[in-house]
Amino acid sequence: MTASPKVWAILAMSTLESTQALTSFDVHGAANPSSAPSRRPGAMVSAELAMHLLRQMVVIREFEVRCMQAYQDKKIGGFCHVYIGQEAVAVGCTAAIRPSDPMVTAYRDHGHALARGMSANACMAEMFGRVDGCAKGKGGSMHMFDREHNLFGGHGIVGAQIPLGVGLAFACKYEDEVIHERKSDRVALAFLGDGALNQGAFHEAMNLAGLLNTPAVIICENNGYSMGTSIHRGTTMGHNLAAKAAAYGIESAVVDGMDVLSVYESMSLICDRARRESRPAFVDMRTYRFKGHSMSDPRKYRTREEESQYEAGDPITTMKGRMIEAGMLTNEAFKSILREARAEAKASVEFAESSPVPAITELHTDVFVEPWGRYTGSSDPKMLGGARREPSFRAIENSEGLS
Amino acid sequence: MPSTITMPRLSDTMESGTILKWYVKEGDPITSGSVVADIETDKATMEMQCFDDGIVSKILVATGQQVPVGTPIAMMTLEEDETDATAPTSPVAVSSAEAVLTAIPLSDHQRMRVSPIARRLADAAGIDLNAMTGSGPGGRIIKRDIERAAAAQGVSAPSVTVVPTAPAPIAPMSTSRVVPIVSKGRSELALAPEGREVALSGMRQTIARRLVESSQQIPHYQVSMKVDVDALMELRTMLNGQLEPQGVKLSLNDFIVRSCALAMAQHPFFNASWAGDRIVIHGAVNVGIAVSLPAERGGGLVVAVLRDADRAGLRELSENTKELAEKARTRGLSIEEMSDATFTISNLGMFGVDDFTAIINPPNSAILAVGSAIQQAVVRNGQLCVGTEMKLTLSLDHRVIDGAMAAQFLQTVKHNLENPATLLV
Amino acid sequence: MSVREIEYRDALNEAMSEEMRRDKRVFLLGEEVAQYDGAYKVSRGMLAEFGERRIIDTPISESGFAGMAIGAAMMGLRPIVEFMSWSFSLVAADPILNNAPKMLYMSGGQFGCPIVFRGNGGAGGQLGSTHSWCVEGLYSNVPGIKIVMPSTPYEAKGLLKTAIRDDDPVFFLESERMLGTKGEVPESEYLIPFGQARIARAGKDVTLVSFGRPVLFCLEAAETLAKEGISCEVLDMRTIRPLDIGSIVKSVRKTSACVVVDQSWSFASPGSEVAAQVHAACFDDLDNFVHRVHTVDVPTPYATELEQEYLPSARRICEAVRACLYRA
Repeated sequence: MTASPKVWAILAMSTLESTQALTSFDVHGAANPSSAPSRRPGAMVSAELAMHLLRQMVVIREFEVRCMQAYQDKKIGGFCHVYIGQEAVAVGCTAAIRPSDPMVTAYRDHGHALARGMSANACMAEMFGRVDGCAKGKGGSMHMFDREHNLFGGHGIVGAQIPLGVGLAFACKYEDEVIHERKSDRVALAFLGDGALNQGAFHEAMNLAGLLNTPAVIICENNGYSMGTSIHRGTTMGHNLAAKAAAYGIESAVVDGMDVLSVYESMSLICDRARRESRPAFVDMRTYRFKGHSMSDPRKYRTREEESQYEAGDPITTMKGRMIEAGMLTNEAFKSILREARAEAKASVEFAESSPVPAITELHTDVFVEPWGRYTGSSDPKMLGGARREPSFRAIENSEGLS
Repeated sequence: MPSTITMPRLSDTMESGTILKWYVKEGDPITSGSVVADIETDKATMEMQCFDDGIVSKILVATGQQVPVGTPIAMMTLEEDETDATAPTSPVAVSSAEAVLTAIPLSDHQRMRVSPIARRLADAAGIDLNAMTGSGPGGRIIKRDIERAAAAQGVSAPSVTVVPTAPAPIAPMSTSRVVPIVSKGRSELALAPEGREVALSGMRQTIARRLVESSQQIPHYQVSMKVDVDALMELRTMLNGQLEPQGVKLSLNDFIVRSCALAMAQHPFFNASWAGDRIVIHGAVNVGIAVSLPAERGGGLVVAVLRDADRAGLRELSENTKELAEKARTRGLSIEEMSDATFTISNLGMFGVDDFTAIINPPNSAILAVGSAIQQAVVRNGQLCVGTEMKLTLSLDHRVIDGAMAAQFLQTVKHNLENPATLLV
Repeated sequence: MSVREIEYRDALNEAMSEEMRRDKRVFLLGEEVAQYDGAYKVSRGMLAEFGERRIIDTPISESGFAGMAIGAAMMGLRPIVEFMSWSFSLVAADPILNNAPKMLYMSGGQFGCPIVFRGNGGAGGQLGSTHSWCVEGLYSNVPGIKIVMPSTPYEAKGLLKTAIRDDDPVFFLESERMLGTKGEVPESEYLIPFGQARIARAGKDVTLVSFGRPVLFCLEAAETLAKEGISCEVLDMRTIRPLDIGSIVKSVRKTSACVVVDQSWSFASPGSEVAAQVHAACFDDLDNFVHRVHTVDVPTPYATELEQEYLPSARRICEAVRACLYRA
């Protein structure tokens, strides 16, 4: 690598501020064949950060490739939704927040987990249903949880995570201001896909966020398709989601989700404002998934031409080109990043395969923190923890139960 | 490095796939993510992509062929710029499980209707359900019917629900009040000069059923030991002489009961039950005594239970035993008095039996068969002399008690009887 | 010294207020809980004491505010969510059934959900079919939830305090019909553990098992039956999950007869579950199968006479007991 980590460079960024069409195939807005992504000078970014963003996107890409392979080899069960094409969103967003900011997302969650700091091993082992998975193999592909890194889950039901995200923001504010009596400066991120725009939970959560002024940044990863239905076939005002946010008194931004620098810079500004003013924000994050909705999606609802056009705007290729242009990266250095990422992804598969299956006893744990309640009214150690198997004879008289 | 490309699983329900079209031929270079074939699945036609960079070395499955998921369909040579640990996947056999129809037995319309607790109480009281008419719906025999029948037969009315002594709520204890029987005893009924049929009493049916169950289901074995009872006979004579004014007369059997009760407390597996997936060790030491009933009461045997026998002194044991045996032979025992034995003693010594083996009284794990105390020539301290000996034979449930454990238990009993002072204090 | 008597609603109010004074993580949200002083006056005066940061009026948006509260609980706060009626919780089914009870399991023990959902359940006020839900029939099917049904002001206070301190999601099912009921509640602090039944009346011939308001119907029936020489033991289960099957078993082993009274529909209900467990644990002790008294298997009617016939009542309980004891 030629660039020193301390070098700062101005990298060009594309912008969608005026909701311009991205390409001739514009899945998000009205078709506008003549327009191309506009570019603006961009922000000062350290080589260290640029490298971090690029590396994370490559790691996620390589990881998802191995997920697809493992799924096809029947090593991953159930449903599996890969993030290929959308890497810039999770990577740019998580880089823009602090470790103490909570975050919640939907079922296409491997990228968010890795970007937030979960190890590829824990993520892959979870999908293999093994004990070393982030949730000991009890969650699966759609339910990545990581307490250490403040990831409050991937959630399988479309839209269900949005009220939770507003709740995370509410709790940040309540904890800081009511309990600790200090100004709150945390934000919570809640991700959703454009398919969730039509769930009641989205609208209820938006209304509550606007009403209660919770510092929730609600990010719609708008890839143009809710499963196999294009946004224009399923969503009113699909070309202008800002209108939806405005209805709830929430400011919004349109961001080019295929450009990790745009994502990073916009999210930094949006989150700063949300922290400062303790208010929600909505982001229409324009992106595109290169693969199907799930592993069994033949993608008959869109053309290969459309796909190749978006693939030409691959966020990894774009970032790589910018960095080479700025003298931060060489082709050789990129190859070595790719090699390392591929090795890490393959190693995670091996790790997952060698991780033990959960003990059958795990079936019964984690249903309750305390199956019979925290207050038992008894000092009997058998009643303090663990599920009791035998019925115990404990009917008490009227007068008992007083502590 | 060679690598195998297998038929991928392209949907959650896909079992096999058909290759509709190959986009590559042998020798073509391919890169990770490129489409190599179209595959028809159970749901749709899907593109198949490859995951590695390299060169197609061999096409194994031709266009139009259908193969199960996991079957190798092509080989490739991987680009040699990385460590590769991808192992070829072996083909997976597709199993087509066939549904097996199970015949469902027709329900038995002739079945006798008895409520569960009525059946249990009738068993305990030796009441023959076949002879009864129930007062419940559809002729169901209910608790109240048993209470009435028991009152009519003179058995103490089982008005109190039997509560198991064992702490475990599903201890098998509650299911049986079995009557142990000697294995070679001659039936009085067989003495009749001419052949005839004898109707079975409820008790006889119970004895038959339970003891067949016991002998068929419990892996029985026996362990015997001789006990020198000279010192015990001497002590007994002395005590009975001194206590005569108080009306106390201790029997040899009382000493044996006390000795066994103390040994049970010391060897908890002799106070235990086999419960299928575990062994239940009981809290209370309840010693059952086999009592034969006189012919005028229909004959047969019952087990009278001395509760908490390890906590009772000789005098109390003796009094209780006499009282129970007397009541059993005259008025009949209550359910309570026949319930919850955890160990049983059968003593045929008074009939001049040298030794015998008994069948275990479930859910006990052991039964002690006691023979006569016999004066005979014995060798003591290298000297031939006359001594009194008695032979004890344990029958054991091998699922609960192993041979060495049985030997140790007998040694404790023997030690207690040969050093009878231990039984007094 | 006589113990003071207070209303069921005030017992609930005291429980919440005491816990909010004790623990700042506790807050109350729901429709009309603040400015209106509670749709049923349960939260009367709480806005004045705790302020709008902790007593929070929500829009009519059950799915949204239930989900939001669950998110807050995952962060470690201890929300109390008031559903004006449990009937309205149905529109929040996804958050309360798919999120709250599964979070701990799905996250492999990383994120719990210490939250209380409370509100009125049950019919009896001519509210018609949609507003008369007894949700315990639906919700007790789901693992990961504790379900509480207090039958008196005393139980209401002690159990709600326990619920607020519990680390798992608790569904607290009150009864609109009982909010004005008065009962003895000591001034000194007390808690009632979960999973411990109360012997509301001791007896020897039959065990009556019930939850919540129908416990009162059982006690009424027991009075009537006592005159016929039938001695009823009435168990107030207090919590459906965890279920104190041990106390039921102990009583049934004594009586050999069991009648379950449950205000939800009979099919796949708490009552059918109790019956199944009693049949398994007390098979050899029973003199008859477990009899059940439920609401009638139809949508809740409006007309008073129909509604009264639809609900479990002392009369129907007496009939079931006589049948169970072969005295019909």
